[in-house]
Amino acid sequence: MRGTARGTARPETSGRGRARGAVSARLAGVALLLAGILVVVAGTTVRSPTGYDASGPRLAPVAVGGLLVLLSVLLLVRTVVRPDTEHAELVAAMAQATHWPTPAALAVALVAYALLLEPLGFIVATTLFLPGASWLLGSRALLRDAAVGLGIGVVVFVAFTQYLGVYLPAGVTPIF
Amino acid sequence: MDVLGDLAGGFGTVLEPQNLLFAAIGVLLGTFVGVLPGIGPALTIALLLPLTYNFSDPASAFIMFAGIYAGGMYGGSTTSILLNTPGESGSVATALEGNQMARRGRAGPALATAAIGSFVAGTIGIVALTFLAQPVADLAVRLQPADYFAVVVLAFVAVTSLVGRSVLRGLISLVIGLGIGLIGIDQLSGQARLTFGVDQLFAGVDIVVVAVGLFAVGEALYVASRLRSQGEEELVPVKGAAFLSREDARRSWRPWLRGTALGFPFGAMPTGGAEIPTFLSYALERRLARGRAREEFGEGAIEGVAGPEAANNAAFAGVLVPLLTIGIPTSATAAILIAAFQIFDLQPGPQLFENNEDLVWALIASLYVGNVMLLALNLPLIRLWVKVLEIPRPLLTAAILVFATLGVYSIAGSVAEVLIMYLVGVLGFALRRFDFPIAPVILGVILGPLAEAQFRRTLLVSDGDFGAFLERPFAAVVLVLALAALAGPVLLGRRRPALAEED
Repeated sequence: MRGTARGTARPETSGRGRARGAVSARLAGVALLLAGILVVVAGTTVRSPTGYDASGPRLAPVAVGGLLVLLSVLLLVRTVVRPDTEHAELVAAMAQATHWPTPAALAVALVAYALLLEPLGFIVATTLFLPGASWLLGSRALLRDAAVGLGIGVVVFVAFTQYLGVYLPAGVTPIF
Repeated sequence: MDVLGDLAGGFGTVLEPQNLLFAAIGVLLGTFVGVLPGIGPALTIALLLPLTYNFSDPASAFIMFAGIYAGGMYGGSTTSILLNTPGESGSVATALEGNQMARRGRAGPALATAAIGSFVAGTIGIVALTFLAQPVADLAVRLQPADYFAVVVLAFVAVTSLVGRSVLRGLISLVIGLGIGLIGIDQLSGQARLTFGVDQLFAGVDIVVVAVGLFAVGEALYVASRLRSQGEEELVPVKGAAFLSREDARRSWRPWLRGTALGFPFGAMPTGGAEIPTFLSYALERRLARGRAREEFGEGAIEGVAGPEAANNAAFAGVLVPLLTIGIPTSATAAILIAAFQIFDLQPGPQLFENNEDLVWALIASLYVGNVMLLALNLPLIRLWVKVLEIPRPLLTAAILVFATLGVYSIAGSVAEVLIMYLVGVLGFALRRFDFPIAPVILGVILGPLAEAQFRRTLLVSDGDFGAFLERPFAAVVLVLALAALAGPVLLGRRRPALAEED
């Protein structure tokens, strides 16, 4: 998939696009830096009878968090000193091609699917989710997608619960 | 010959009718899922794991997984050739010439040379695995914690500095994986780490949750974000049968063997991975091409499909050497295979060879069987697999999300884990947006805890003396190698070519 993504992403060559890419890359660096600090802080609170003794449980999280801090600072430095223009262009092209509402809506649909899985049961939840997610992803054949959702729901439910012995929530559907 | 006796015992298990059926089901399902665009072998195995949860006999489960593994690999090459969307890094080189061949009406020979080449390379690779496995396992028994730690560090460095375009971004991906691996109760001290008060995190984040989140959900969100800007992919129709003419066969067999010779050793080293040998094979075939082949390169030369595809499959057989004998996975797919072992409370490594010898040999024997079935089932079924590619993409992506949710829910039995998996998916989406490689994250999650445990065990024994890592010659040499692999590209300032990476 990535090969195609790169192929279709047309890198901007203008200085502005590059600058925007650098800003975007910097944001990623800051996010990683914050995550690193969080891990270090969380690491120092791990209860360890032997303190920072290398064989205790505290060293690894502090070391990993510290490494993340160090690497994200390096990443931030690299956006200013000897900047990776190729990467900045790629990030800028990605930013331009990104349409935020669609993935956001898809994420909401996913969370709804997970939360409805147990109350409604696997079959009903899947029959609702599959056409919904397909629609968000550009399909307009709602009826067909709903039929496929129902089909997958029933076949998987029966196969898993009856033959493979794996539990799936029945929810509102009568148990087989 | 001890090995042949053991192998014969393995075949005895595999050739039972019931197990043959499991192998066939595995090959068909693996190919079906592997053919789906955007799904590499790692995700294929992760999504099909729930099928075996309640198998009473681990041997049957592993026989099925050997089929899924082989099928998933093969399915990936079909997609690369017909759609030009390699599902994993090992297929990128195959797609270069393969898709060109398909566009020029030679999809049949391209698919045939990929299938037969996979078979040849896979079989040679499995023969090599057969004879290497026991000796390497015997050596591995003597490895001390310090040695293990060193080998894992080398694997870390190799996957970050050899894959992808930036060592720095590769390292960050690895550290993110290490962080995820730390979440949960510490095995040695029983303390909760990085759980931030969330009870559901005490058990840690399962590797399957991470892989499915990164590969399936991350991918779907990425596809969704680019819906308005991405052109249609073009499915090349297959004309004629998947068949090699005498001329094609003559041009294919040497690349098959050369690809195998490159792929297996690269896969078997703790550095692992199929990306380097496939591209080396592509470059080699291109350089060796004479006459008509030379003109065809770039526009669909069969050598450029035969070599990399053989290298890809041989490398995957090679990856099983460190996985089975030392217990160290060196690719995302191998990391998921560890999860398959864990379902049955088994840990790959030298102990597995001692305690579950029959199982190991049944697994190796089933690799042979899976490979033969692949060839027998798939060349005739090629049209069916092409039909799979015609499934509308929105529906397909939505269905992958259903199966991702299903897989994680059935592993954990709780909605909380599903939500964690989605969260990992958002992380995967962000990584993809900023061009951070995915494979180091997965290896960090699975190898991080292993590295930490061996590190702490070494220091417990040595009473906190760090010199313990340098006293063992083996560990010292491997650590120096790792340092060289990391520092080399940085010091030389060499920019790597833009290779796609994923798996």
